[in-house]
Amino acid sequence: MKTFKHSCSVLLIGLASSLASAEISVIVSTNNPNESIDQNTVSKIFLGKAKSFPDGSQAVPIDQDDGAAARVAFNSTVLGKSASQLKSYWSRLIFTGKGTPPKQSGNDAAVKELVANNPNIIGYVDSSVVDSSVKVVHKF
Amino acid sequence: MRTTKYWAPSLLALAIASPAMANDLNVNGFLSVGATMLDDNKASIASADNQGGFKQDTVLGLQVQKQVNDSTSATGQLVSRGSSDYNTEAAWAFVTYAASDDLDLRMGRLRIPFFQYSDFLEVGYAFNWIRPPSEVYRVPFSSLDGVDLTKRFSSGSIDGSVQVYYGRFQGVFDTGVDKYDSDYRNFTGLAITANMGNFGTRLSYHQAEIIMDTSDATTQLGGAKAAAGAIAAVPEGVDVGTATGNPALAGLTGVGDASASEDFDFAGQTSQFVEAAFTYDDGTYSAVAEWTALDHESSLFLDDQAWLLGIAARFGDFTPHLTYTTEKDSFDSGTEGEIQKQLPLESEQSSIIVGLRYDYDSSTALKFEIQNNDETTASGADGDSATLYSVAVDVVF
Repeated sequence: MKTFKHSCSVLLIGLASSLASAEISVIVSTNNPNESIDQNTVSKIFLGKAKSFPDGSQAVPIDQDDGAAARVAFNSTVLGKSASQLKSYWSRLIFTGKGTPPKQSGNDAAVKELVANNPNIIGYVDSSVVDSSVKVVHKF
Repeated sequence: MRTTKYWAPSLLALAIASPAMANDLNVNGFLSVGATMLDDNKASIASADNQGGFKQDTVLGLQVQKQVNDSTSATGQLVSRGSSDYNTEAAWAFVTYAASDDLDLRMGRLRIPFFQYSDFLEVGYAFNWIRPPSEVYRVPFSSLDGVDLTKRFSSGSIDGSVQVYYGRFQGVFDTGVDKYDSDYRNFTGLAITANMGNFGTRLSYHQAEIIMDTSDATTQLGGAKAAAGAIAAVPEGVDVGTATGNPALAGLTGVGDASASEDFDFAGQTSQFVEAAFTYDDGTYSAVAEWTALDHESSLFLDDQAWLLGIAARFGDFTPHLTYTTEKDSFDSGTEGEIQKQLPLESEQSSIIVGLRYDYDSSTALKFEIQNNDETTASGADGDSATLYSVAVDVVF
């Protein structure tokens, strides 16, 4: 029994570390003057509650495609909402003309390219794809 | 040559910027398809009956939004409701001018922000019920033509908005029993919302001057108006049927004060509406409480109060929910009240709603609901109770 418990906890630790290794980076263009953006501000930008970066320039958030691993992690960690809750949140805004959800813009590579080429765009990708073309402003 | 190379990526960036800047046409829609079955026709809920119905909860909405330039956008929403024989109506048609990041001016056909769920009243996907409880959501029109100004604010962990509007509603006031041509003038109000973490609050106030055609005595309000005039004119304590020679008015007792009938009319009398709501949602458990009160200067409408309390729990894709809601009329004081008590106007009712929402995927919800409606008083007489069974599928796209 003790051995069983022990192997269970080893399994759990293994699982936890494999989850933790999928680190997500919130990225902007290297031409974007903002160096670091806190989670609350990132959340506000992606929920349409803030429309600009801390320095005042326009912020355009983009999402990864539905079901992408980075998107699931971003939604639950940064926004604290499930896919259904987010859909419900956005349907309350879309149909009142009060806001539109971030555009679905593909996978890690596609998001990185869009972000790199436009200083107004903010996105998130798996940290493993981050390179010098983009700047990381938040990590989790 | 070097300069050209240096600029090329920036030009590319500009070219790519356009689509991501939402300079395109956004088309969204929602569709709810429902079926209802009432166990007993004596009470009325959601226009359903005991022969089954498929159109009462069926609603199709299509919305088009176009960003015209950096600060201006145009939004139109066409809604086709089974409950009004699929006549298509522009629920929204407005131009938004964003004066700044947090200040919007809108002009056109707008939703009146009466209730917590007013903005997305017909978007079934956005809430757990199949339809918002009619005890509280009892105003039979939802849009007006006018202007509004919305200021959003954000400070630390609190964010919210203040909305003020002014306009006019000209259209048919449909009580479900009769239809009246109406004109709500100087329609104005204020709605304040604030959210902090899992908590949300909303406060709103609305008023309008009502002009309504109640000259047809065969309608409920027209008949009440005519009877009120007769009751007021007949000497105190005398039977109105005997005094007027009209057997239809027998049993009513005169009050002998002709001036008391003046406010049994809609000739510009002001009505006021106050609402307060509180919401909680921690991702697993959620609750909503909403209280409302109507205060009419006209005595043909009884003042009333209505509120609801709903709770829900999310277990993965399943969300069971429970709601209690109630509405109660009150009479005016003095002679007007004495007349109101003799007219078929008073209503008092409550409902318990038990439902289950199943999120089939991230844009489709399947809902089951049982509503037990208990009418203590309906149109001034003892009411009945009935149970309504409903299913619905809500889709957003």
